[in-house]
Amino acid sequence: MDSEALWLTLRLALTTTALLLAIALPVAWWIASGNGPLRALAQSVVALPLVLPPTVLGFYLLVALGPLTAPGRLIIHLLGHPLAFSFSGLVIGSILYSLPFAVQPLVAGFRAVDPALLEVASTLGASPLRVFTTITLPLAKPSLVTAAVLTFTHTVGEFGVVLMLGGNIPGATRTLSIALYDQVQDFNYAAANRTAELLLAFSLLTLLAIYWRGAARRPLLG
Amino acid sequence: MDSASGSTPAAEKTCSPAAHLNVQIRHRIGALQIDLDFALDKPWTILFGPSGSGKTTILRAIAGLLKPDEGRILSTTMPGSQIENRLTLFDSDQGVFTSAHQRDIRFAPQQPQLFPHMNVTENLLYGIAWTTLNPQQMLHAVKGAREILQSFGLEHLSGVGVNRLSGGEAQRLNLARAVTATSSRMVLLDEPFTGMDNTRRDQLLPYLQGRFAEHVIPVLSVTHDVAEAFQLGAEVIKIADGKVIAQGPVDIVLAEERLRLLQQLNR
Repeated sequence: MDSEALWLTLRLALTTTALLLAIALPVAWWIASGNGPLRALAQSVVALPLVLPPTVLGFYLLVALGPLTAPGRLIIHLLGHPLAFSFSGLVIGSILYSLPFAVQPLVAGFRAVDPALLEVASTLGASPLRVFTTITLPLAKPSLVTAAVLTFTHTVGEFGVVLMLGGNIPGATRTLSIALYDQVQDFNYAAANRTAELLLAFSLLTLLAIYWRGAARRPLLG
Repeated sequence: MDSASGSTPAAEKTCSPAAHLNVQIRHRIGALQIDLDFALDKPWTILFGPSGSGKTTILRAIAGLLKPDEGRILSTTMPGSQIENRLTLFDSDQGVFTSAHQRDIRFAPQQPQLFPHMNVTENLLYGIAWTTLNPQQMLHAVKGAREILQSFGLEHLSGVGVNRLSGGEAQRLNLARAVTATSSRMVLLDEPFTGMDNTRRDQLLPYLQGRFAEHVIPVLSVTHDVAEAFQLGAEVIKIADGKVIAQGPVDIVLAEERLRLLQQLNR
């Protein structure tokens, strides 16, 4: 068992989830708070990782974060090393790759909140921020949980972006899915089996937890 | 005062200096063209008119939930009010639109809109700006909230989730929440007593009148109930098709409706 890869995978998934939620909350709030071409464009861009092969995203990030572009050179100048082939680079890639899994449930959750409630809150003197934190967010809590769990599991299962952007550096970019690929390349099927089992069990348990939670809540809502 | 504000046609009215609210708005909503010019100078004014005449739209425009196509709405607080200033709520010429949360105008919509994740007390106290109060004022607010729960017959439900309230209880909490703050610029009530049983209404009306008078908070309420208008003895603005037909004391403006009601009762 590759415990270093397991630890790295969990660390990557946790970091990505925390950062992505911080980004997705205001983005989803903005998208949900109106209509128009700008919001439609934002939604399309957010949804892109759903349809793009992850290797495309990984390739663009590899180029963008490397010394070939101005932003890449700036990052190298600031950090002293390129973001590609590093843990931070993986976090950026994972955030972009999981963007729709965080933003879309939140947009749906925010839109489901009755606007009449938000109006009444504002006539009671609540600023837009207070309305968001005390009415919208609590009422959209199930969506927030869904967004967090989906982001986490999706990051755990990510392969293409990591392969293109991270390479295979133990402790820095070698996640479980990469380790599995590596083990198969080495014909080490016993180790590959254990890694695959671990990923399968984890994914199944997480999904079970979500659906069980949903099933337990339903009678209360009815 | 009464003679000055008899049933004058809306077109002859100009910006009244004694008024606490001046409304001149034009707004199109669906097939209805709203074109209004009126001033409020009484503690309690009633918007009276058939459904679809634009009453709710007027309340929403004053509350800041709707931006009229053009016109202006000017608020001046009455002497003795805790809020001492003039405020332009809306002015299309100057591009002014004060956000709803900055107007200090409380609005109880016709359909109860209670926050489903909060209990009765939490709903009631949502509009209290705790951060601006000193400890004594906080204590006062809590005491006031208890008194309101009692007056609205909700005291036994203070910790109950609002999803478990009956329709009548939800309606009363919806109303109570809008009148809890003692320092409002104005209170807007959309059909506050529709569907409420008469005993409860007879109890609540004088209580609300007293409370608003005590804190010098002017009220604009919507109704199409003639009896309710007479019970309040308030100033009435009669609306039809988005226009003001008449404004004045209830016994003058609604004399015709009163007569019709009496004839029906005598039949």
